[in-house]
Amino acid sequence: MTEHTIDRRKLLTLGAGAAIGSFALTRGALADVISNAKIEGSADMAKGAQKSGKMRIGFSNGFSGNTWRTQNLASMQTEAAANKDKYDLITVDGQGDITKQVNDIEDLIAQNVDALLVIPNSGTAVVPALRKATRAGIVTIPFNLPVEGDNWTAFIGTDPKKKGATTGKFLNDALGGKGKIVALGGLPGNSYTAECWAGAQTQFGSGIEVLAFKDASWQEDKAKVVMADLIAAYPQIDGIWCDGGQDAAGGLKALMAANRPLVPATGDDYNGLLKLYDAQKAANPKFKIGCVSEPSWEGVVALRTAMKLLSGQDVPKRQIISPVLMDDSNYSQFIKKDLPDGVFVDTLLTDDELKKLFS
Amino acid sequence: MSQALGMMRRYPVWVAVILLYAVAGFFSPAMLKPEQILNILQVTAFLGLVASGQTLALLVGGIDLSVAGVVTMTNILATSMMMGQNERIPLALACCLALGLGVGVINGILIAVLRMAPIIATLAMNAILFGAALVYTGGAPYGTSAPAFNVVGQGSLFGLPASALCWLAITIALAWIMRRTTLGRWIYAVGANETAARFMGVPARSVLVIAYALSAMLAVLGGLLLTAYIGNPSLGIGNQFLLTSVVAVVVGGTALTGGIGSVLATVAGALFVTELNSFTNIAQVSTGAQYVIQGVLIALSVIVYRLIGASADER
Repeated sequence: MTEHTIDRRKLLTLGAGAAIGSFALTRGALADVISNAKIEGSADMAKGAQKSGKMRIGFSNGFSGNTWRTQNLASMQTEAAANKDKYDLITVDGQGDITKQVNDIEDLIAQNVDALLVIPNSGTAVVPALRKATRAGIVTIPFNLPVEGDNWTAFIGTDPKKKGATTGKFLNDALGGKGKIVALGGLPGNSYTAECWAGAQTQFGSGIEVLAFKDASWQEDKAKVVMADLIAAYPQIDGIWCDGGQDAAGGLKALMAANRPLVPATGDDYNGLLKLYDAQKAANPKFKIGCVSEPSWEGVVALRTAMKLLSGQDVPKRQIISPVLMDDSNYSQFIKKDLPDGVFVDTLLTDDELKKLFS
Repeated sequence: MSQALGMMRRYPVWVAVILLYAVAGFFSPAMLKPEQILNILQVTAFLGLVASGQTLALLVGGIDLSVAGVVTMTNILATSMMMGQNERIPLALACCLALGLGVGVINGILIAVLRMAPIIATLAMNAILFGAALVYTGGAPYGTSAPAFNVVGQGSLFGLPASALCWLAITIALAWIMRRTTLGRWIYAVGANETAARFMGVPARSVLVIAYALSAMLAVLGGLLLTAYIGNPSLGIGNQFLLTSVVAVVVGGTALTGGIGSVLATVAGALFVTELNSFTNIAQVSTGAQYVIQGVLIALSVIVYRLIGASADER
């Protein structure tokens, strides 16, 4: 396994061929977010395919409508606008429907796109369509969520198990390896939460007792209701493990409503959690947060990877992003105090772009 | 003994609420803590209000599946208009209530005038509202509810949760309307037999429109309380009410065929559903099993009411 380690700033200067030149100049050095995310490339490489002229890149978005997807798409559109002389971005929305997404991909193939980016609704359902596209000479890049097999050109994403291990270790250390915790997950039965939780559990010492694991749908209101019940059931809760910031914020709000001191909690880069920590840390000496993001700039990496491949460069078959842990030591670099709670702060979008997006 | 049976027959859902509570308390003593009782009352208020509106839709022989979209849209609208500032509360409330009125009247017209099936009309409205919430926010909800408003969802009055007091006050007013006013009697009459009601001079179409308007307005009130409870916008916030609002009404004994049931029985139905969720949360039941239990209880309650109805007919 060779590791090509690239941090966020380097990523900007290494961008898609020469495309990046103008981008780096116009968008500066992302001074508002300092993410030292590492991107690890697999040893096996995907072969580039030299194509000339203006490219057409299709993006099949499995669904839209949650904040992460909105920020990801906006980042991709900003990136495409900065490179409009080099390629056009064609986006189609699968509306959460597995069948519609397969049809969307077929449509993009019929339109002869040069590259095809996908966030799959189902890692199995899109396999035949992606195979067909790859055979037709289209560069195919699934990202954010995995696709089975390897009938695609390159993949970009995070490793949920590793992310879970990072937050699990944080919580274990914050509690000194001893304490009673509850866990709040996402939508019932989703594989992302399952993998994160599996990773987290590998890091808990023998002194950590898991009182309960409950689904909270990544919604503050559900998390608060569930947590209120758990508070009634367990007089002592020393920590909250969550894979999403909304769950953590809801859980912590339930503690506040019950006049209990706040405890260490984990989550992601949900601005509401960072703001809650910022407001409450002084009054709650035991309160800590440990957050690992799902970078909402994955789509930008996918676009740049596509352009590299189309300019004939080889790239790693798999690029796994390892986001940095946000905790009390560095959260102030990420928090956006004057932006809504809903913002995911690990972003390439400027504050002004975010303000426009959230208005 | 016969008295107990009479109670069972007359108020089966209240008996069920108390029984479930006893069982829950036996297995999880935490359920018996005063603060947990208050917590259940506090969170039942959201479902309770939405379900009381749903009761009216079922009483007129229909169903209102747009309540989920109404709650979501209310949450999005309220938070984006308040922006955390107290002076914006009145305008935000007025807009939310106007939205509810508009949605309810359109539902009513689709059903009463254009004779659409209630399930289709309100499901379509639900999709429209959810789509509208997406368009309005661009997928990125923003804003927060105002601190003074949050007191309604989070605060207490005389040691009781403010949200529960709001819910019970509104429900009692609604129960009074249903029992003591002409409108209430008309709603029952239209639900029992629309044609017969027409012959008796009941303005059936107007009654239907009013029933759906009230249903949507009560969903708005439920959405407002939930917004005050959490303070933030969320595009998924209303989805839970699509099923549970119907469950609470059916468990309360209101018939899907219309004309039979009561708003007060739905109070018990909502309490039952929330109690059950709370108990299964504490007893570490998985989400999947929670859904199964809910489904089984819907079926069971319908069977029980049918049996009670049959034994009443025999006497």
